[in-house]
Amino acid sequence: MIIEYHRPKTIGETISLLSRKNPKTVVLGGGLYLNEKVKNQIAVVDIQGLGLDSIDTRGKKYILGAGVNLQQLVEMEGLPPALIGSIKHQETYNRRQVATLAGTFIVADGRSPITCVLLALDAELEMVGKNNQAESILLGDFLPVRNKKLEGKLFTKIIIPSQTKTVYNYAARSPADRPIVAAAVSQWASGRTRVVLAGYGDQPVMVLDGTDAEGVEASARDAYSQADDQWATALYRSETASVLVRRSLDQIAEIN
Amino acid sequence: MMLDLELNINKKTYQVQVHPGERLFTLLRNLGFSSVKFGDEHGKSGADTVLLDGKPVNSYMLLAAQAEGHEIETIELMGEHPHLGWKETRGLHILQQEFVTTGAIQCGYCTPAQLLAAKELVSRESDPSEEEVRDALSGVLCRCTGYKKPVEAVLRAAARLRGEEVPPIENPIQTSPEWIKDSSGDDIPSSKTVQVNGITLTAEKVITKLKVSTKPEEWQQVGKPKVKVDAVKLVQGKPAFTADFERREMLYAKVLFSPHAHARIKGIQTKEALEIPGVAAVLTYKDLPRVPYSTAGQSDPIPGPLDCFSLDNKVRFVGDRVAFVAAETEEIAERAIKEIKVEYELLELILDSRNSMKSGAPILHDEEDYVNFADSDPAKNLAAEIRIDIGDVEQGFKDADHIFEAEYEVPKVQQAHIEPHAVVTYWDEDDRLVIRTSTQVPFHVRRIIAPILDLPIKRIRVIKPRIGGGFGGKQEMLIEDVAAHLTIATGRPVQYVYTREEEFIASRSRHPMRIRMKTGVKKDGTITANEMYALSDTGANGAHALTVTGNTGHKAMALYVGSGPYRESPNIRFYADIVYTNTPPSGAYRGYGVPQGYWPLERHMEKIAHDLELDPIEFRLMNALRAGEIHPFSVAWSEGREPVPEIIQTNGLTECVSRGKEIIGWDQKMSDSSWKDVSEKPYLKRGLGAALVMQGTAIPYLDMGGASLKLNDDGSFNLLVGATDLGTGSDTVLAQMAAEILGAPLEDMIVYSSDTDFTPFDKGAYASSTTYVSGAAVVDAAIKVADKLRERAVLLLDDKAGKSRYSPGDIELSNRCAIAPDGRTVSLEQIALHSLHHANQEQIMAVGSFMSPVSPPPFAAQFAEVTVDLETGQVVVDRLVMVVDAGVIVNPITASGQIEGGMTQALGYAVSEEMVYDEFGRAREKNFRDYHIFEAHEMPVLETLFIETFEPSHPFGVKAVAEIPLDGVAPAVGNAVFDACGVNIDHNPITPEKIWKELYKK
Repeated sequence: MIIEYHRPKTIGETISLLSRKNPKTVVLGGGLYLNEKVKNQIAVVDIQGLGLDSIDTRGKKYILGAGVNLQQLVEMEGLPPALIGSIKHQETYNRRQVATLAGTFIVADGRSPITCVLLALDAELEMVGKNNQAESILLGDFLPVRNKKLEGKLFTKIIIPSQTKTVYNYAARSPADRPIVAAAVSQWASGRTRVVLAGYGDQPVMVLDGTDAEGVEASARDAYSQADDQWATALYRSETASVLVRRSLDQIAEIN
Repeated sequence: MMLDLELNINKKTYQVQVHPGERLFTLLRNLGFSSVKFGDEHGKSGADTVLLDGKPVNSYMLLAAQAEGHEIETIELMGEHPHLGWKETRGLHILQQEFVTTGAIQCGYCTPAQLLAAKELVSRESDPSEEEVRDALSGVLCRCTGYKKPVEAVLRAAARLRGEEVPPIENPIQTSPEWIKDSSGDDIPSSKTVQVNGITLTAEKVITKLKVSTKPEEWQQVGKPKVKVDAVKLVQGKPAFTADFERREMLYAKVLFSPHAHARIKGIQTKEALEIPGVAAVLTYKDLPRVPYSTAGQSDPIPGPLDCFSLDNKVRFVGDRVAFVAAETEEIAERAIKEIKVEYELLELILDSRNSMKSGAPILHDEEDYVNFADSDPAKNLAAEIRIDIGDVEQGFKDADHIFEAEYEVPKVQQAHIEPHAVVTYWDEDDRLVIRTSTQVPFHVRRIIAPILDLPIKRIRVIKPRIGGGFGGKQEMLIEDVAAHLTIATGRPVQYVYTREEEFIASRSRHPMRIRMKTGVKKDGTITANEMYALSDTGANGAHALTVTGNTGHKAMALYVGSGPYRESPNIRFYADIVYTNTPPSGAYRGYGVPQGYWPLERHMEKIAHDLELDPIEFRLMNALRAGEIHPFSVAWSEGREPVPEIIQTNGLTECVSRGKEIIGWDQKMSDSSWKDVSEKPYLKRGLGAALVMQGTAIPYLDMGGASLKLNDDGSFNLLVGATDLGTGSDTVLAQMAAEILGAPLEDMIVYSSDTDFTPFDKGAYASSTTYVSGAAVVDAAIKVADKLRERAVLLLDDKAGKSRYSPGDIELSNRCAIAPDGRTVSLEQIALHSLHHANQEQIMAVGSFMSPVSPPPFAAQFAEVTVDLETGQVVVDRLVMVVDAGVIVNPITASGQIEGGMTQALGYAVSEEMVYDEFGRAREKNFRDYHIFEAHEMPVLETLFIETFEPSHPFGVKAVAEIPLDGVAPAVGNAVFDACGVNIDHNPITPEKIWKELYKK
């Protein structure tokens, strides 16, 4: 149950609120999750007044404010089409007006297309904690420890590369259904390639980050060899993951 | 701590005080913005859409406080009725006008949300593409329309807003009047005999006694794409639905649902719940009279066991009721629910229907007060049993050159109407209980609930307001008793609305079945015998158990009678056992058992044709039922009542096939092997599939509809019908029929449905019966009123002429006038004023009713085009074409909307929808994220065409249209998958993994 609502005007004020132990205070972060799931007594901090909705380019990177909503990204020129595709796959037009990138990966499970692509892009997260101390963390490092890592902190930016080649493929019951298996692949000019799978478990999983993609199909197969649940068998997921990874690598190779 | 907010809503400032956790949705509803609807808890349905700073957002997903400082807009700001007395109005917005004229509105529950999403789109993009429109509408689920007409409406509105002209709405009927005449059944014999168990029965050709002009080219209302009579109301988001109703001192109900699939309640403690401030009542099984009943909204006597109790000391599925609470707010009621302490004794459970009748299986219904119906046997967990033998099936198998046997399976799926079940109950000033409820069956609800409440029927009034979709899910007395018991307990009004999760765990669904087929076929493709056995899972209660599964056989297995001598004397067997399991009860769902029959039948026919190297469509037509033949099941089964033989009068199936093949390009594509390939994607293959289907129209000799018509001073009419328009447009088509006979325009018909105190009895909206049965009742009433109008017209014309020259039969009613053969006219208004005020005063009105002795089947050919990914198994349905013989189409817009929406529901049945339970009986699907229904931006191309025949048993020649689109999509998609990649999927939905496994096997 939400017992307090705050709309701070500064990040410092926000961090003070988030640092309180009682009541437990959390960010209304655009994950479209908090409003549905609140069971205990909590306070919420609405960050819409913090100006975190800016989009900048710095060198070969996009600097996306943590409050940027998904529709802003869809309308942004130059963003990797695969990321836009994953956004459209995951969220309908209405939900994209409120949902943010930060909110999305904070509450994501393993079937989140957006988180899958962000992980392939090796997204970097900037957050601010006590004493306005800034901290950076990679999405891949953050996801496994997200609940602990968030305490008393506020995401301010998400940084993704602007010049990678990225593709996203999936298998689902219908075009807009959640993926049963998905693969996202990003490749940098240096030849660095990241391969991520989604469709199962608590979060997407990375199966490759390196310059040599040989054997990655087998790695994908292995990564989902135990990925068995009510939605699909591990055998199907592992074999399909391998197919989608191969297909994604082929598509990457065709992008100029 | 309360928050003081200043909100800008529809350009007005509101000072409000709210709790910090209050949703914007709740606040808007409390402020009276009833256009904002509840659809689900996750923002997937989008019924709760409002514009925030011009952008569509889900108000249920936002706190009211988050909206401060922003401009909130609801549909109430968009437009208004073009004529509101002397005051000039803004009229409807162009978007609203186009939604009205294109038929984009069916139930209207999601319409305000779609309109707001569309408004935002056209404000940023003056010339949107179809893809952009579909993306803009993607956040609003619509279960009625299939999105085709809403998309068309937005594109047309955008064009008009750009200043362009738009073409008239296309009419999806391409049959000429000659075709209607040719198929009018004149060559059908007037009677035919059939031997049943050694007894000779005669089927008479039934011609309606209600005569109207059978010259459709002269009709002015029937057959025309008229605007729905409720469209203007719905397009404004008026407070027309159950939960929009407010009453002082209203309490809110919540139900404690069982977390266990099978358990006995050993103890239940409500003290803590009752002590919570604001809790008005907590009821358990100890507080209520124990009255066995069936939730099935069917005519008396209900053809099924009485195995439900409002509250029981035993729970039989996860989601079964344990206790009721009424409180001042929903939040307080939820807190109280959590404080009820229950001690359960867990019992062994049955989740697999194959185990239900095994020796030693736990018995679900061991209560002594269980009331049997026919062959139900609770000791065997058997809710119903069907054994139908037509002809000599064993001899038919002996005659065959080939025997084909296979097993199939169909899943449990849900109706998923966007408006959840909702009810409000209260005592009126006469101490009569008023039940305002979202129901398809108001009269059945009144009859069923009366003994449960210990009230006579006469002290109960059931009001059916607008309904936000039903699809069979509201053919129940499902939650009305919850609110009613709480009103009796507290003396106060009570509202109860299901959440989406409650819809999934505690309402009704389509029966899952395991089906075995055995078919005997000669080398030339003649079917010599056809047998189906269905093991049907009714879940924890037996409502609709017998009748749903009976229709699986009755409608599906009747289609193929065989060829040659077998056509004269078909050999068909349909056996079924309908068993209890510890899963949520199954029930009525659009199609009513028939889609379960066509999945195995049409997959089976495809396999036979392939194995015998026969053209799959020619093979089907060769064996299909034809006009002039006796419906084979009409001699054997009639929903638990005495069967009466019926002759098929009209059958446009051959023409449906022919036109459908043309539209989808069947012959060209089938003869071009390269068509299956997708350029530069060798892992993709295309395929085509077809399925032929038939349904029924109403239940013969049983269900009755009534209507009353009353003339007003200005020559308009009140049409009161007991029929329930679920969004289907039935109010409109009923009014069209009356208007045609009365010579009045549709806008002069004021339609009201339905209220058990004021409207005549009607069985309700089910069995594809409204246009046919209720329509004939309307015609009956209209003919009586028309006769009185003519009599009065003669009187008036005589007065003018000074002598009597004409009899009433000479008078034509047209264009709001009664017209004499010499051309003189008197207006309906003049007749009304004369009859009400001037001379020999009388109220011109009449009551009509109709019960049909036949159930004329509509027929259809369904086609599907798919693309299959050979590596992942993913299937994408690219195109669905349905050509339907539903008799005369009264309103092409509403009828085609039925087909488009129905095909879309059936598409979910084909590829994505199913309800799965874990080993404890807990549902996997509890929301629209996991239970995926098709969204606007992922739809295949939908095409509908009507082949009109004139069904002689109805005054306007109609047959049913509502349910048949559910029947053929899944098997057509299954057959298309087979065509694409050569694998047979026998268990829908056709998921990627199922296809992949079959491919992998190969």
